[in-house]
Amino acid sequence: MDSIISAASVIAAGLAVGLAAIGPGIGQGTASAQAVEGIARQPEAEGKIRGTLLLSLAFMEALTIYGLVVALSLLFANPFTNQ
Amino acid sequence: MLISSVKVGEHFYLTLGVFKLHAQVFIVSFFVIFILIVFSLLGTNKMSQTPRGLQNFLEYILEFIQDITKSQIGEHYYRDWVPFIGTLFLFIFVSNWSGALIPWKIIILPEGELSAPTNDINTTAALALLTSLAYFYAGISKRGIRYFSRYIKPTPILLPINILEDFTKPLSLSFRLFGNILADELVVSVLTLLVPLIVPLPVMMLGLFASSIQALIFATLAAAYIGEAIEEH
Amino acid sequence: MLYINSSTLLAEGGLFDFDATLPFVALEFLLLIIVLNLIYYQPITQVIDSREDYIRENLNKASIYLDEANELTKNYELELIAARKEAIRMVTTSQNEAQEFVNTQIYQAQKEAQELIHSSMIQFEQEKNKAIYSLEKQVEQISEQIKNKLISTYIKK
Repeated sequence: MDSIISAASVIAAGLAVGLAAIGPGIGQGTASAQAVEGIARQPEAEGKIRGTLLLSLAFMEALTIYGLVVALSLLFANPFTNQ
Repeated sequence: MLISSVKVGEHFYLTLGVFKLHAQVFIVSFFVIFILIVFSLLGTNKMSQTPRGLQNFLEYILEFIQDITKSQIGEHYYRDWVPFIGTLFLFIFVSNWSGALIPWKIIILPEGELSAPTNDINTTAALALLTSLAYFYAGISKRGIRYFSRYIKPTPILLPINILEDFTKPLSLSFRLFGNILADELVVSVLTLLVPLIVPLPVMMLGLFASSIQALIFATLAAAYIGEAIEEH
Repeated sequence: MLYINSSTLLAEGGLFDFDATLPFVALEFLLLIIVLNLIYYQPITQVIDSREDYIRENLNKASIYLDEANELTKNYELELIAARKEAIRMVTTSQNEAQEFVNTQIYQAQKEAQELIHSSMIQFEQEKNKAIYSLEKQVEQISEQIKNKLISTYIKK
């Protein structure tokens, strides 16, 4: 049943990326908000705050990427197609 | 007229005896190693007390790496690990940027295409496994058999979670790097497919920035794991 | 014509294709660590360390010199203050001495002048008395003479 598998994989890939972007999106927004507040409160600590912010953003980004990897593997390395 | 094509999952196979290799990874990684070695040789050619030019830049990079290692591992033991963390950072950084900046499409391979070596799951998995081995080695060589007591450290109930952590650490490291670089290249390719001229440029800039951050993150996390294995509780 | 080319084979190709590339990349990376250690990390670490030692040594020497210089200036200042005080003291004492000398001289001169005046006044008095006495005598004599003369002339008549 090739077309069903392909259809299901495509829907699953779309859902994977879409849902995986929600959590890290909220998390990164909150982190940036707190970072900006920290800078506004104490402008001379800007260097350290920016460094920590970038590090945390990259960690959260990785969670989205996990979703993207699942989507890509469903589209391009699908273990259920019998080719 | 073919303006752009995206080849995902095709590799240029090379068979060495019984081993099957992805030759495109090795071609680009040899290029990366060549660049690193040439820059180092040029910079350390005639060294002077007050540095200028390339030597100054190399010293800046080394101090940056020393700073990362020192802040994660601690004052006493960081010197031994600077080569490992430094090479990790430099290799990933230079390979990501050379994959994004250099027009590899000019060279046409019979199968697959040339791109960043970290594009391939094998490279990132190799680096992650090396990191895993490194922090095991660090822990065991420093604390002996007592190193395994860290599995029951806060409470013995967390034993399965600690063992699982040993597997997820290299997994997450490799997938983070692989996913970032692959996603970057795919996005640029697909955008170039749709609007060839100006629009992919901001995404390329974002890709350069994100890939350098990923190199830094990989190196920092590797140092953090090693530091965590070395420290006495 | 634009087209996307994608391959979906898992055994030959595909995204998650683990094969002998993995250990070879690991080996290559380890070789890279060794090579970079030899040509990059060790020489540059050496240069950075030697520069740090050089700076620290010079800083130590410089701060020692600074301390010595500060002490010497302090000593010199103290000596300067002492010498200045000494000089002032000497100047005031000699001033006082000179003033006293001048005072005594004046006093002496005044006393001598007074004595001179006194003695000359006494002498003057004496002379005056003598002169008055001799004058009186002369006046007596002259009045006697006048008297005699008058009497003689009267008698002659």
